[in-house]
Amino acid sequence: MTQFARVTWNAVALLAALAVLAISPSRAEEPVKIGVVLPYSGVYASLGGEITQGLELGFETYGPEVAGRAFELITEDSEVKPNIGLSKVKKLVFQDKVDLLVGPVASNVANALRDFVHQQKVPLIIPNAGNNLLTGERCSRWVIRTSFSNAQITRGMGPWLVEKGYDSVYLIAADYAAGHQMMDAFRETYTASGGSIIGESFPALRGTKDFGPFLAQIKAAEPKAVFAFFAGGQAIQFVKQFDEFGLKDTIKLTGAGWLTSPLYVDAQGPAAAGILGILNYVPGIDNQENQAFQEAYQAKYGRVASEFAVQGYDTARLIVEALSQTGGDTSDKDAVVAAMHDVSFDGPRGPLTIDPATNNIVQDIHIFETSPGDDGMALNVIDTLSAMQDPPNGCTL
Amino acid sequence: MLLDPTFLAIQLLNGLQLASLLFLLSVGLSVVFGLMNFINLAHGTLYMLGAYIGLSLVRATDSFWLAFALAPLAVAAVGAVFHVVLLRRMQAASPMRQVLATFGLIFVGLDSVRYIWGDYSHALAAPELLAGSVQVLGQTYPTYRLFVIGLGIIVLLVLYFGLERTRLGAIVRAGVDDRETATAIGLNVERAFFLVFCFGCALAGLAGVVAGPVLSIFPGMDISILILALIVVVVGGPGSLKGAALGALLVGMVETFGQVIAPEYASVVLYALMALVLVLRPGGLIPVSKAHG
Amino acid sequence: MMSRETWRAGTAILLLVAALVSWVRADYFGHELLTQIAILAIFAMSLDLLAGFTGMISLGHAAFYGLGAYATAAFNLMLEWSPWAAMAGAVVVGAVAALIVGSFAVRLSGVFFIMVTLAVGEALHAYLFKSRAFGGDDGLSGIARPDTSSIGISFDDPAVFSLVCVGFACLIYALLELVVRSPFGRLLVAIHLNPSRVRALGCPVSRYKLAAFTLAGAIAALAGSLTAQHNAFISPELLTWTTSGEALIVVIVGGLGSLVGAAAGAGVMVLAMHHLSGVTDYWMFFMGLFFVGVVLFAGNGIYGVIDAVRRRLGGAAH
Repeated sequence: MTQFARVTWNAVALLAALAVLAISPSRAEEPVKIGVVLPYSGVYASLGGEITQGLELGFETYGPEVAGRAFELITEDSEVKPNIGLSKVKKLVFQDKVDLLVGPVASNVANALRDFVHQQKVPLIIPNAGNNLLTGERCSRWVIRTSFSNAQITRGMGPWLVEKGYDSVYLIAADYAAGHQMMDAFRETYTASGGSIIGESFPALRGTKDFGPFLAQIKAAEPKAVFAFFAGGQAIQFVKQFDEFGLKDTIKLTGAGWLTSPLYVDAQGPAAAGILGILNYVPGIDNQENQAFQEAYQAKYGRVASEFAVQGYDTARLIVEALSQTGGDTSDKDAVVAAMHDVSFDGPRGPLTIDPATNNIVQDIHIFETSPGDDGMALNVIDTLSAMQDPPNGCTL
Repeated sequence: MLLDPTFLAIQLLNGLQLASLLFLLSVGLSVVFGLMNFINLAHGTLYMLGAYIGLSLVRATDSFWLAFALAPLAVAAVGAVFHVVLLRRMQAASPMRQVLATFGLIFVGLDSVRYIWGDYSHALAAPELLAGSVQVLGQTYPTYRLFVIGLGIIVLLVLYFGLERTRLGAIVRAGVDDRETATAIGLNVERAFFLVFCFGCALAGLAGVVAGPVLSIFPGMDISILILALIVVVVGGPGSLKGAALGALLVGMVETFGQVIAPEYASVVLYALMALVLVLRPGGLIPVSKAHG
Repeated sequence: MMSRETWRAGTAILLLVAALVSWVRADYFGHELLTQIAILAIFAMSLDLLAGFTGMISLGHAAFYGLGAYATAAFNLMLEWSPWAAMAGAVVVGAVAALIVGSFAVRLSGVFFIMVTLAVGEALHAYLFKSRAFGGDDGLSGIARPDTSSIGISFDDPAVFSLVCVGFACLIYALLELVVRSPFGRLLVAIHLNPSRVRALGCPVSRYKLAAFTLAGAIAALAGSLTAQHNAFISPELLTWTTSGEALIVVIVGGLGSLVGAAAGAGVMVLAMHHLSGVTDYWMFFMGLFFVGVVLFAGNGIYGVIDAVRRRLGGAAH
């Protein structure tokens, strides 16, 4: 071969190789890297664990790969500290070069991440943090929420309670942004429906050792119902003490459904019976997907799947379905987000879509009542508010 | 509402109940503080440990009373190990090193509890005898809380007479007042301190079990109550039994009535109270008189 | 034998060289870590002035750090001051706050000083956690970094910003080195070692301690201000007493009363946390053990080891 021929041949080979690279939608064998920033230590470690398990089961069920690309989860502990969470996300983006981000649990961490992912244009899928502003005033094309907004959860309960005859309530919630947002949304629809709020208390999120002082106040105010928001240890205390102080005989206890989460409803004992809750998921929802989900989850982890696990599970499914629309391509982030807007599916919670106007999820919200069952307390769905969608709330996407 | 006597009475009981728990938790912290000039930041961890060991015992034996009796012993044993392994080596160290070593132990304890018992929240059921509620001035009040109040008073009385009437008490009092002289006249102050330390740990463990049915059990329950216990000790006067009782009463009442009157400022008020006492009466409200500064 | 001060300055220069080398070699995230280290170094050095030189152990030092961050956010977002002005304002706020707190706190000693600083920090934390005006538990975001586009560089570039933070750390080190070498600084050490003798000599001990406390508060506020600009976000977590405790550990790891040790400790701590938390979910257990071990066995920390080399060299020369 002459020199010229060899050079030509090499050039042709190089061009061909480039063409192949250009045509193939992505590095076919490389996994999709997903950076997961959730609390694995501290007070919310249990939630981080639940969501991660949901994610893993979701990728197993709807993956394990999309267009030939497997999924690789890189988990980092947010420690529920905004600065730490932000630092971990920077590590995931700059060092691990993840394609997508999933997290966090707490809204203060989400607030810290928002501007960074907005500038970097890396899609962040929130599997829990409910702050209204994240899909309202502070919304971003790159922040998608598969869990809920605080207002979305409680808004439906106002008219519903009035209709059932509970026309006076006392509001009580932990004194932080989530507590206030939940109560604000409830108050608005409740009073608009003609209900009257005869008292409000906001005990400290941390440091409240005892609800005795508040329960005595509630009792003295004589409302027909209480609408409460507490979670975790505080929820256990509140529900038990509500009973012990004899309020349950005369006042109906209602609240955002974390009050009697399956994670600890059995620890609350008989005190947890007869409570009305409103939430985006309870294990007893009657549909095929939920049955399959609960069976698979219980087989794998030996425990009933919680509202947190389902949020992880649906997050995984959203990612898989969106990426199958883009043919496994994650290089064009704009196309990935657009695909997420197009995805809709029936999950354990019911039909789900992402609202392109706010990036918040559109989902059914379930009202349930607790009653003692054969194996522990059962959460029975008694009403479903379908396709709850947030107004834009100042979001312009 | 505040002028309604039954409402006031109920809130008083709530305050007393919290004070009683805080007293159980703080008295060990306070006496050790007074004896060894040493703040054990891991004292809350011992309380958490008591609650979790109690939880396991209740699950295993189905008996609250067994847990009530055994969990404090188990926590005392942990305290003894802690004293032998760490504290003895640290006696000569500066207060900062002691504080920071126990600061490190908070994290060790927290993750140990998470590792053994998991991340979820739990609660203890009150024993059947005390499970229900009773009528107080026509108001329903949980029986168990009255038990907590009673227990606090009993422990206070036992400790008071123990300190006043027993030989160990005399050694401890002598040690708090003037350690060097007490040692010089041949009292075995070291051994007395060790026993007192273990006893304080047992009381923290007891507080943990007793708190189980009232408060919930979760990793981190130690940190949320530690600061309150520190406030009790500082306000009352480190090293003083009466001080711990008074401090607990004050903090319990401020916390309870603060929530009712001005929930916005309740937590800030407590810290302000502590800062104020420190500045105006650095030895606490009931200071222990010390022979040597 | 080289003097203690010269050796310390030499170590500081070595540390700076190490920082610059890693700056050149670092990628985006490396610059990120370097920024964190530099800011923690500033914070830890300010605490070392208190704990190491003056013997005032504060579990509330994070209050001034957090206050600096909040003041930066408030000046920048609410009053729309320029980032430089906000930073300067934050330092003033930190100094004034420390002056006020110090005016009653410095009279206490030992455990009681620890407790009163803890109380002040926690009270401020509790207030900010609830205050709607400052974003409550949600925090505030959008804090700007200085705009230096006129001279052709952008502070938004992590490489530039990390260099700026390293520069600030050097400045603070130099400033504190001057302070501790001055007669004032020597008096602080004397107060630490034997307060009653210094008092007997007619020195207003409290006033000297207050001056140190105020300076430390101002520097902590500067660190907080840099953090606010670095993260473009602030929240009450910055002020918790555990932040103060962790900073004290950094100082001990580095070596009390050596300034440069605090900076080295900051580097060790940031890198250790970065690697450790990826290894296990129970990293707090190991961190706690590490703390206990350091406090028990590490005596004079990293700088203690470096200083031992100096003494050995000196011994060999004789």
